[in-house]
Amino acid sequence: MGLLTSAASRAEVPVFPVVGAGGREAAEALWLLPGVRMVDTPRAAAVLVVIGRLTRALLQPVLLVHDQMPGPRATLWWPVDGRPADDGTDGDEGLLAALPDVVTTTAGDAAGLRAVFADLLAGRRPWGPPALADIESPRWRGVGPYGHGGEGMMGGVPYGRPFAEMAQDPDGLMLDQLPLQIGPLFPALPPGLVLHLGLQGDVIRGVTLGDNPYRSWPGDPPVGPLDSVPFLDARTSPTTVAALEVARARHHLRWLARTLRLHGLDARGRRIAALAGGLSATDRPAVEALARRLGRDRGLAGATAGVGVADQATLEPLGIELAGGPVARAAGVAIDARTDDPAYAGLDFEPVVHHGGDARARLRQRVAEAAQALALAERAGDAVRSPGPPVEGPRGPLAPGRTMPSSSLIHLLPTLLDGQEWGDAVTTVASLDLDLEEAAVDQSATAWPQTPTGTSTASTRTP
Amino acid sequence: MATDADRDVDGIDEDAVSWSDPLPAVLLVGAVLVAGAYATSVLDTAAAHLVAGRRLRLGELVLGPWREAALLAHMRRSTTERPDVQTWALAPALLAGMAAVAVATVPLAPGVAVADVADGIVLFGAAMALVMVGVYLHGWSSNSVFPLVGGYRFVALALSYEMPLALVLIAAALPAESLSVGAIVESQQGLWNVVRQPLGLPLFLVAGMGLASWGPLGMSDGTDLAGGTSAESSGGARLVWALARRFVLVAVAVTGAAVFLGGWHGPVLAGGLWMALKTLVLLAVLVGVGHRVARIRLERFVVVAWAVLIPLALIDVFVSGALVL
Repeated sequence: MGLLTSAASRAEVPVFPVVGAGGREAAEALWLLPGVRMVDTPRAAAVLVVIGRLTRALLQPVLLVHDQMPGPRATLWWPVDGRPADDGTDGDEGLLAALPDVVTTTAGDAAGLRAVFADLLAGRRPWGPPALADIESPRWRGVGPYGHGGEGMMGGVPYGRPFAEMAQDPDGLMLDQLPLQIGPLFPALPPGLVLHLGLQGDVIRGVTLGDNPYRSWPGDPPVGPLDSVPFLDARTSPTTVAALEVARARHHLRWLARTLRLHGLDARGRRIAALAGGLSATDRPAVEALARRLGRDRGLAGATAGVGVADQATLEPLGIELAGGPVARAAGVAIDARTDDPAYAGLDFEPVVHHGGDARARLRQRVAEAAQALALAERAGDAVRSPGPPVEGPRGPLAPGRTMPSSSLIHLLPTLLDGQEWGDAVTTVASLDLDLEEAAVDQSATAWPQTPTGTSTASTRTP
Repeated sequence: MATDADRDVDGIDEDAVSWSDPLPAVLLVGAVLVAGAYATSVLDTAAAHLVAGRRLRLGELVLGPWREAALLAHMRRSTTERPDVQTWALAPALLAGMAAVAVATVPLAPGVAVADVADGIVLFGAAMALVMVGVYLHGWSSNSVFPLVGGYRFVALALSYEMPLALVLIAAALPAESLSVGAIVESQQGLWNVVRQPLGLPLFLVAGMGLASWGPLGMSDGTDLAGGTSAESSGGARLVWALARRFVLVAVAVTGAAVFLGGWHGPVLAGGLWMALKTLVLLAVLVGVGHRVARIRLERFVVVAWAVLIPLALIDVFVSGALVL
């Protein structure tokens, strides 16, 4: 092994993560592993880590990501619900068939990841060809029913690529508009989000939502476990208020950490992600100090103020205004399921409310709710909440028979994103804290947690 | 890059090494850029660990940049469908070349300058203006959406960087009554421009950070664009682009040290050491800000640049001019 290779094998491992079904919890750990660096593009990655179960709809995008890695490359699979790799369900089987050298390791195993990387660079682990065939794109055969379509020099799909069309821009000029599909694995969007949109320069025009890749069909395993497991469980079984509130604070802090990373603040995000990982009620002063610091942060305020305004009028038609949740409370709606919950009766609970309904208000709302949640956890002591009333989850109220919060929130996107610059669109999407897997619960033929399987590891974790 | 005819500085010892000869010139500028890029990476690692509250081993700090460079050199270069291969290769070379031109205009110690020409800061400004071409070409070449959007972003912002940059440099030239960087350094004996023109250095650093597409102004290569102009770059191509961007940052820091922090002036230590120290301080400031301040919105920055930064830079010019009169 030459000097160069030897030095290279000691570098931080550039990893591109793919979050499959049930993989959100374990994905949080990846960011904090020592000697591992999450990269923005598969072109910079040496190791692809597939976390959780691959659904059928995710298989093809994952193989594309694999083929985009320049090599030497390896693929790691972190199953999260303890099922064997070859139980013949879903996209997992397809992954193993298409990439025979996938290594299955325990989720969060840094040593295993580094070992695969070192073997790869030393040449002890061969790396394979692309998983997808390199197909020559369709020939251009002129305008018309057998050609690329379109009109004159514009539109259509010459050589298999959608071509720009003319459309009016916000200033009333006729400019090129490129039709695009973004997602489901675009790293700056929530895992699984697919957007069909037109781009005029970096301005977004006309957004429609694509299919949710986490959606399961009859015969598929159910989606989940979701990242809001403690709250879902609280609908049916007694839970301590303290545990719920610490889980809420952790959820919001993790969201904050991911959001800071998108704003170019990876290191600050990591610090908060580490705090969130070991969070307990005694961290209240640290979280309150964090909330004060973020409140004074002019840079972050400038990056989020006035971006993605979802006021009460925007929320009302989607039913979010009446349902509550942090997005509604950031727009001044003082609705919180905890107000009427007897378990919170003696805890002096008042919903936190912010005004403006923009990305900045949502950021402040979640940080304030995290600090409030830890204060409640301290005051609650051993108080136990009995099932019955709706549970206020981290994204909104959860009750049997009610749509999941992400299912409603996701429908804000077409309205909010139209006309935004790309950077603002990423800020807006992040500020809504969407979980596509949660949204899939309402769209799926089989949905966790109504079915008993798949609840194994995450539901037994105590915060 | 520079011929003897370009030299226009008085008081250079003719017996000393002629830094404008090709070999010494290339070695000197190359050494400054590479050492500066390495220092940038070390400072960046240190700042990232400090801000993240993570433990850092000395070996990781010192060897980390080399290991990462070795890994990128080891990885394959992938390509996209129908890229513009020539311009893709040319873009980092152009960026690095412009950084080299900028460094060449700066005297690193008394008499140690490759091309301390009479119009040094004009040449620096011209080189920094061409950075835009390099970044845009890099975004254009891969024939891919997000790199191209990264390129657009830089073009949309470039004028907002270049205007304040040019103005504060003009202000710095006024007390020296010369556009030569050497003369500007000489004029700071006793009083550095950072004190004489307090607006100059902050405005210069903001513009310089933008030109290097770094930290809060790292819009052309941002996380929100999956890496922007470098979203499709891998292996060696990724390495040279990362290096070229650092070279621009180093050129900004070296020039800032000379124009605003008194260059080689300072007690006890040799002039070259003072330059190195001042450059490192500016690099540390640039890198530190990158880890503390969120990426600014494109539209907001243009408004801030034209409504605040450029007027401030004009005030800087007028006040400096009035003081000279």
